[in-house]
Amino acid sequence: MVSTSRNSNVKLALVVDDSAMQCKVLSVLLKEEGYRVFTANDGARGVAMYIKHSPDLVLMDINMPIMNGYEAARKIKSLSQDNSLCPLIFITSMDSDQAFIESIDAGGDGILVRPFSPEVFKAKIKSIQRISDLYAQVKTLQQEQQNDAELAEQLMSGVIESRNYAIDRIGIIKKAAELFSGDIQLTALAPNGDINVMLGDFTGHGLRSSIGAIPLAETFRTMTKKGFSLFEIINQINHQLYDLLPTDLFLGAGFASISSHDESVYLFNAGLPDVYLFSDQGIIKHKTSSSHPPLGVLPKLLPDSKLTVVSIEETDRVVLISDGIVEARNEQGEMFDFIRFEESVKQGVLQQNVSKIVLKSVNDFCQKMPQEDDISLIDIPCGGWVQDLVSSQGVENFSVKQLNDISLSTEAAWHWQLSLTGSRLAAINPIPMAMSQINEIEGNAEHWQSLYTILTELFVNSLDHGVLGLSSELKASAEGFSQYFLERERRLKSLIDGSIELQISHYPFPSGGRIIIKIIDSGQGFDIKEYYQNKALTSDDTSMLSGRGIVLVEQLCDSLDFQGKGNIVEVSYVWTT
Amino acid sequence: MSVSKKVFDDNSKVEISVVGRFDFSLHQHFRDSYSSSNDKNVEFILNLSETTYMDSSALGMILLLKDHAESCSGKVVISKPSESVNKILEIAQFHRLLTIVT
Repeated sequence: MVSTSRNSNVKLALVVDDSAMQCKVLSVLLKEEGYRVFTANDGARGVAMYIKHSPDLVLMDINMPIMNGYEAARKIKSLSQDNSLCPLIFITSMDSDQAFIESIDAGGDGILVRPFSPEVFKAKIKSIQRISDLYAQVKTLQQEQQNDAELAEQLMSGVIESRNYAIDRIGIIKKAAELFSGDIQLTALAPNGDINVMLGDFTGHGLRSSIGAIPLAETFRTMTKKGFSLFEIINQINHQLYDLLPTDLFLGAGFASISSHDESVYLFNAGLPDVYLFSDQGIIKHKTSSSHPPLGVLPKLLPDSKLTVVSIEETDRVVLISDGIVEARNEQGEMFDFIRFEESVKQGVLQQNVSKIVLKSVNDFCQKMPQEDDISLIDIPCGGWVQDLVSSQGVENFSVKQLNDISLSTEAAWHWQLSLTGSRLAAINPIPMAMSQINEIEGNAEHWQSLYTILTELFVNSLDHGVLGLSSELKASAEGFSQYFLERERRLKSLIDGSIELQISHYPFPSGGRIIIKIIDSGQGFDIKEYYQNKALTSDDTSMLSGRGIVLVEQLCDSLDFQGKGNIVEVSYVWTT
Repeated sequence: MSVSKKVFDDNSKVEISVVGRFDFSLHQHFRDSYSSSNDKNVEFILNLSETTYMDSSALGMILLLKDHAESCSGKVVISKPSESVNKILEIAQFHRLLTIVT
């Protein structure tokens, strides 16, 4: 609405009355209250003046020629919908219930019956102005909140959805009940070619429930990229959400990791409706029901938690949903429920567009009923991922064997070596030196982060257990942990003759390369055979406090070998651009 | 929908009943129903037999009640959840967190 420019501190009042005398009286009173006053002598003219001046207050007579007060009030109120509340008071001498009711019906905010004293009139004006100020305040806050929310939503979807993997082939439905969705869908590619997918449903919806989404997405992506197993990722997410979120905020989540290599899918369901595996005919081959409370409720996953493994065919599809779909209601109050859902997926599979068909079925079912909860679904094809790796990532899928051949037949492009002995070994950390060497020769790159981790873990291992002869069993308890570090300090200070040799060689490929790291320590080594046997027995034990470093290194590189009497370790790390 | 509270046996048992929909709109009422019961070893019985629907924020509210009970060495027992409510408790695997008597 266009208003004439004016000093915003001066309030404008519009008096509409067919009696010039009445206009005059009311004008004088209003001016005493600090208003600038305009007058009109009939309803139609009143509406025109309202449009022209957009006043802060309207006083309206009821019986007037051309257009009466009720009609004028309706017009004015319909014009001022989106603006701040412009209070409208009827001034009348009709002291009847009927007049009062009609006044309010017409959109009036109050009625003042003549005769009244100047004091009563002014009190009425003050009270109505107070309400109008409150209204304006609420409007402003609401607008600010909306702006903030829009900005946050934009940032959040930028951080979360836009970085999902293969969104062209993984079907996703995301339909938020409010501006923010409490549901989150994540997809990421693991270094071994597995596809990790997560559908999460935070408690409630709106901004409050989406606040955990950013750390969640970061953890999911980073750990997938670094090659952590799905179970470790779930464990970490649970722990992180438990730490970050208040008690009543948590995440129902379903996870799937599709491994083309194992021809299997690994599934975990913590508080979501069943996770499905459909055949290419839309037949349900498997359902994984929730077997764990939502993530973020317990400090640790329950001891008996494990992934479900199901073998898959290339043409199968994994489908995850949040409860918003099955609980969507129609006008009769019926829920969409599982039977309709399963049928719609079947149709979707047959028509090769699961997300579109399911969404259409839900919409057709609910008609115009308002959406109560966030609706989301992820539909992942089980096949086609291997070929994808070949085409999009070239070298990485060269297969490790071929890479081995290349590296053996090629000369190292460069070799870097450092030996540290005695007090120097105790004082110097060679890893940053090694890293800066690599950065200088091969350039800066994000994936050196993994290499940094590998080098650090291996070096610390050789120093602590090899040279210093510390037993990692000490670390098995919390007190042991601090005892371990005290002992480590002590032995480092008195270190005279130990040594560590660090060797790094680089074998380049057309786009990328292989880095061989060899670390030799002067320690006693260990029984390699026994180590591998033990490892085979306890491969799934993630609860160990110690030995995690080596497990991590194994995941980050493509081979790890202990040699000699256990005092030599050699790893190979392949990188691609 | 409503939340009501009954106290038994010298404050050692508190029964909280939720009738109708159990969702975020009951947040304040629900919290008020237990927050003044700070005695030691109180058993909170959450009667959900007349609860027709429960959403995830209700699950969160139950966890808050559990926190409160445990902070005074008490416990929470969910009593006779209706079929639809039980389904939700089952999906959330709440029987692994607290006692549910059907």
